Parts: sequence; structure tokens; C-alpha cells
Amino acid sequence: MRKMYDNQLGVLHERLIQMGALCETAIACAVQALLNDDDALRSATKDKEQEIDLAERDIEQLCVRLLIHQQPMASDLRQITAAQKMIIDMERIGDQAADIAEISSYMQGSTVKSDVHMTEMARCVSKMVTDSIDAFVSKDFAQAQAVIDEDDIADALFSKIKTELIDLLLRTNGKLAEDCLDLLMIAKYFERIGDHATNIAEWVIYYLTGNYKKQNV
Amino acid sequence: MKRRIFCFSFLLAGFAVLATSVFVTAAAYGNYFASVKREVVSETGYIKAGYEQTGIPYLEAAGARPGCRITLIAANGTVLYDSAKDPAQMDNHLNRVEVSQALESGVDEVIRFSDTLNEQTYYYAIRLDDHTVLRLSRTTNSIYSFFKGLIWLISAIVAAIFLLSAFVASRLTKIIVRPINTLDLQHPANSQIYDELVPLLSRLKRQQEQLAANRTELEDQKTEFSAITDTMHDGFLVLDSGGQVLSYNKSALRLLNSPLANPSGESVFTLNRREEFVRMIQSSFTGAAQEKIIEIAQRDCRVLATPRLEGGAVLGVVVVITDVTEMQEREKLRREFTANVSHELKTPLTAISGYAEIITAGVAKPQDIPEFAQSIYDESRRLFALINDLLFLSRLDENGFVSRESVDLYAVCENVKKQLDHYAAEKDVALAVSGEPALIRGISVVLDEIVFNLMDNAIKYNRPGGKVTVTVSRAAGGCRLSVADTGIGIPRSQCERIFERFYRIDKSRSADIPGTGLGLAIVKHGAMLHGASVKVESDNTGSRFFVTFPFDYAEAIPYPS
Repeated sequence: MRKMYDNQLGVLHERLIQMGALCETAIACAVQALLNDDDALRSATKDKEQEIDLAERDIEQLCVRLLIHQQPMASDLRQITAAQKMIIDMERIGDQAADIAEISSYMQGSTVKSDVHMTEMARCVSKMVTDSIDAFVSKDFAQAQAVIDEDDIADALFSKIKTELIDLLLRTNGKLAEDCLDLLMIAKYFERIGDHATNIAEWVIYYLTGNYKKQNV
Repeated sequence: MKRRIFCFSFLLAGFAVLATSVFVTAAAYGNYFASVKREVVSETGYIKAGYEQTGIPYLEAAGARPGCRITLIAANGTVLYDSAKDPAQMDNHLNRVEVSQALESGVDEVIRFSDTLNEQTYYYAIRLDDHTVLRLSRTTNSIYSFFKGLIWLISAIVAAIFLLSAFVASRLTKIIVRPINTLDLQHPANSQIYDELVPLLSRLKRQQEQLAANRTELEDQKTEFSAITDTMHDGFLVLDSGGQVLSYNKSALRLLNSPLANPSGESVFTLNRREEFVRMIQSSFTGAAQEKIIEIAQRDCRVLATPRLEGGAVLGVVVVITDVTEMQEREKLRREFTANVSHELKTPLTAISGYAEIITAGVAKPQDIPEFAQSIYDESRRLFALINDLLFLSRLDENGFVSRESVDLYAVCENVKKQLDHYAAEKDVALAVSGEPALIRGISVVLDEIVFNLMDNAIKYNRPGGKVTVTVSRAAGGCRLSVADTGIGIPRSQCERIFERFYRIDKSRSADIPGTGLGLAIVKHGAMLHGASVKVESDNTGSRFFVTFPFDYAEAIPYPS
């Protein structure tokens, strides 16, 4: 009985890693679609988003089954609770990656994106997502904390892009202005993805220590 | 343990109390009853004497006193007198055992129990001289009712024993268990404890020694195994049927870019979660071996996953990971080289066959034929040079030159200068060789080629009116050949690539400046054959090539001046 239970917990861990990997791929595709104007990658992002949704449903069911059948306690319960929370954030990351890919299709051929710190933003946020999942995989408290700290950089980058876009808007008109607004949306989506990565890191810390946002829950 | 001790002591004490009270009661009762009997017998004696003197009135007087019940029975069984009841109402007593026996044998006694009243009555009967029977009886409580009176006392004692046993059991358990719990299991033999436990302790000790020996052996094996596998360049993983890592080496962690330092017992996907990797491991668990080249952390890794099957079930999977980045790059270079060679060989051939076709078809004007012939000759010379260079390079590649001799580098330079003087004059370039004689243990053909190619390039890529300076100098470490020109220079970014085969900096210009594109490749490989290093410095005033031959290759004997 206990062995089966352990196996199921192992499966849960594995599924979460795979879902995390899907998120990483989705973001990578969205970023490439945006920076390289690649239509194939745009549809790839959509596909990944659907896979992420499926994975979320699967994991949710697995968690509920575990909760009902095994009535877990202590760290097992924390693992399952954290998993239930993390998949929500991962699913949002998938959605936002798909949104970025979609908006990027409205601004094909536009060069405005190279005038602002969009590449840095994309790189920073992708790294945050990868690191948060790495922290989960390796059960690494320090790495999870690093992701949470890194969110400030993402926020700062967003403000920077916003200022740069305001400058551009004041100097330009017409189609360019539209591109600027699209870019602002994309930057916001990246910033949100950074927040979700932070959430994942916080749930990793909860899973490891039982503390959520420095409070014992 | 506590319960058992409690039960044991409680039962023991309870049993002792019960047995004691039963036996003591029985003994006390026995004594009491015996004295009752004695009293009845002696009283019978008095009453007999009294009766024989004064008759029934004595009996009445005696019967009025408390004590024994007195009955006088006639020989026919009729009751003549009874101190407790009216004799008229009493039935014939001849059927009473004591009466009939007394009539027969003179005396008898009997004890009768009354269950309902919980009493027992002692009857003593004697036959008198007038053949009547005098019977005395006394009723006492039976032993059961006697015992009943004690039952509350006994219960109280048993309750007290119960409490005492519980207390004693808990104390005793603690006292016994404490030294066992504080036992040093690592060194059981050293413990000062009950003698009864010595066999257990010695068994523990033996077992511990056995365990320690097994553990050491296992650890040794593991260390040995990881010492061997960690030096492997390739990564390998052994997975169990659930996809968990049973064994791994450091290279596997490095190649898979694992976030975990010790993945033993973890899922293989904690090492790497790339979709391709996950897919291929998953399909390997269906029983089919998988092979794929996956890009991980900017390196190309060939991942080979082989399932271990037994009876159709996958017992585990062995994963071997090889870094094939360099192999892929070499493969790419080889393909490029092949493409270049065919292109370079085809270009002159196309020209030759073109001119030849025109002449053969008879469409060429006779006055053009010498010019065509010149072109055919030039192109075939180019082809010839190219093939010669290629052959030379492949000889260098295969270490085809074995015999080494003493060669004077300065003399080689002088010699090459003579060959190129005419060409240099044609290009309006001044050619100068300076320096000192320097003997090298080397291959003269190869050295000749090195110097020729360097000087040829220096002239070829020079400006009209420029100059080429060749210097041979001896240094502490060996000797150095430097070829400096005042030519067009080489862009810094291209300095590494010029030694590649067929690499030309400006492809558009390569048609104007003849050359096979193999010269510097020959220089590089020739220098390698001599253990020499090639360096290039370049700016817009010209390029300088330095070939430094190490001491090993420089002749030890000083050159006679």
C-alpha cells in the first residue's frame, strides 16, 4: 500500500517536471516567434499551450485521487498542495506564452522591438521559469529564493521598457504607435510570467519548509 | 512487558492470598469444629450421668440452658424428650443413622449439612443402660458461611494487591528496561548489563561486524565502479523499471546539464526535462532501443537508450550519452572540403573542356587557336598545381614524410628567393632575405614548401612597389622564420580561418589572383610536422608571418661560420 502511494507521489513529481518542461518550451517558442518573426513557432506555442492545459487537468486529477485515497499528511500533503498550486501558475504561464505569440503576429516585420530591452526581458523571464523548475527538481531552497529575488529585475526591466516605449510614442505616429502598444502588452505578459515563476518558487519553498511567504501555514 | 509483569505479579499475589485464606480458614474451622465435638462429647457424659440419677427432669433442666440440643429416644425410635421441639410432634427417629448405630454399637456420631441454612450440625448419640438413646447435637455455621464472612476482607486485600502490582510492574519495567534502552548498540560488548543478556549482546556484536564488513565491501565496489566510470568521457545512466536512476557517472550529469548533483533514486527527468529527451526515454520503456542527437546546453549529444528486456517486460534502461559536437563540426568541415575540392577541380576542367570543344567543333578561328591553347595550358597548369598541393597535403596528413635530415633554413630561403625573383620582379615587389644560417632537423621538401608558400603569398598579395622581407634568426628556444610584406593585410577576424583549406578571404578576388587556396594549409601542416608554431600579425601596412621551430628541431651543433 505504502509502496503504491510512494510510486504515485513519484509519478506526480515526474508529471510536474514534464509540465514545467512544457512551459519552458512554450516560452522559448514564444520568444523565438517574437524575436525572429517565425510563424511555425507561433503555432508551436499554441500547441504547447494546449498540451499544458491537458497536463494541468491530468495532474489535478492525480492530486485529487491521492488526497481522497491516501489522506496524506505532513510533507506528503505539502507536496500535493504545492503541486495543485504550481500547476495553476504553470497553466497561466502557458496561456501568456500563447498570448505573446499571438500579439507578435500582429506586428510582423516591425523593428520597434529591437529599440527596447525586449530581448533582455525575454531572456530574464525564461531564465526565471527554468530556474524555478530547476529549484523544484533539485529541491533547492537557495535557487528558489534566487528566483524570488530575480523578480525585481524583471519588474525593473518592465518599467524600463515602458519608459522607452513612451519616448518612442512621443516621437512616432500611426502604425509604429500601434506596435508600441502591442509591445507594451507583450512586456506586461513577460512581467506576469515572471510573477508566476516567482509563485512557483514560493510554492517550492512551501513544499520544502512548510512556510509560504515567510509564514508558517 | 509492563502488562505481562503486572499480570504475573497480580496473579501470583492474588493466588497466594486466596490460597492462604482458604487454607487458614479451613484449618481454623477444623480446629473449631474439633473443639465443638469435644465439648459435645464431654457434655453428653455429664448429661448421661445426670439423667441416670434423676431422669427426665434433669434433662429438662439441662435443656433449658443454652448450648446443646438434647434428645432422648426410646429403643423403638419414639422421641421421649427434646429440648428444642415438642416430642409429640416429632416422627420416629429409628431411621436416623446415629440413633440406629448407637442402639447397635453403643455410640455413634454424624455430621449433617443443611444447604439452605448454611449450617452443619454435629450429632453425638450414646445408648444408655435402659436402652434409650441420648443424643446431643450442636449446630454451627458451615465452613462456607464461615468463609463468606471473610469475603469482604479478602476482596479488599485483592484490590490492594491489584494497585500494588500495577505500581510494582511499572517500576520494575522501568528498572529493567532502562539499561537496555541506554545500550550502546555500536559497541554492544562494552555494555555492563544483565548477565542474561550477554548472549544477545554477543550476537549483536557478530551481526554488527558482519554488517560493517558487507558495507565496506559494497562501498569499495561502488567507489571502484565510480572511479572507473567517472573517468569516462561518455555519460551513462542505469534506470530501473520505474525510470529512477540506479547508477550514473559524472559525465552524464555534465552532458545532461543536470540541476541535481546526486540523482540516485530520483526520476531520470530530474536530470534533463527536454521534450526530446523525455519522449525518447519514454519510448525506450516500451521496449524499443532509441538513438537520437539532442542539443543540450549548446552541445550536440548522441543519446542511446537501450531497454533491458526479460520476458517482454522492461527491467530497466541503460542510457549512454556521447558528446558529438566536435564530430559534427568535423563532419561539417569534411563536407565543406569535399564540396570545395570538387568545385576547385571542376573550374579549370570546365574551361579546358570548353576551349577544347570549340576547337574540336571547328568553330574557332585559326588565329584564336594559339590563345585557346594558351588558356588550356594555363588551366591545366592550375589543375596540376592544385592536384600537386592536394597530394602534398594528404601526404602531410598521413605523415608520409619520414626521413629527416639536417637542413639549413637560411639556405632554403635563398633558394626559394631565386625561384621567385622573376615573379617578384613581374609584380614590382622587392624581395630580400636576411639573417643567419640555422640548421634544422627536418624534411627539406616540406620546409621548401613552407617557405615557398609564405613568400609566394607575400608577393602575390603585395602592392606594386612594395617589398617582402624574409628573416631567419636563431633564438634560445630554437629558430624563427619571419616573412613580412607591405601588402593589403588580413582582417583580424579572418586571421584564424586563413589556414583552412580552400579558404580565401575575398572570394570575389580569388579569380584575379591565382592560387589553389591550399598554400597556408600546407604551411600550417608542414609546421605541425616540425613541431613549429605559426603566428600571424597583420594591419593595414602589411602582414607578418612567424614560424618558430622549437629547440628540439634546431640542430644542436653550431653552424660553422
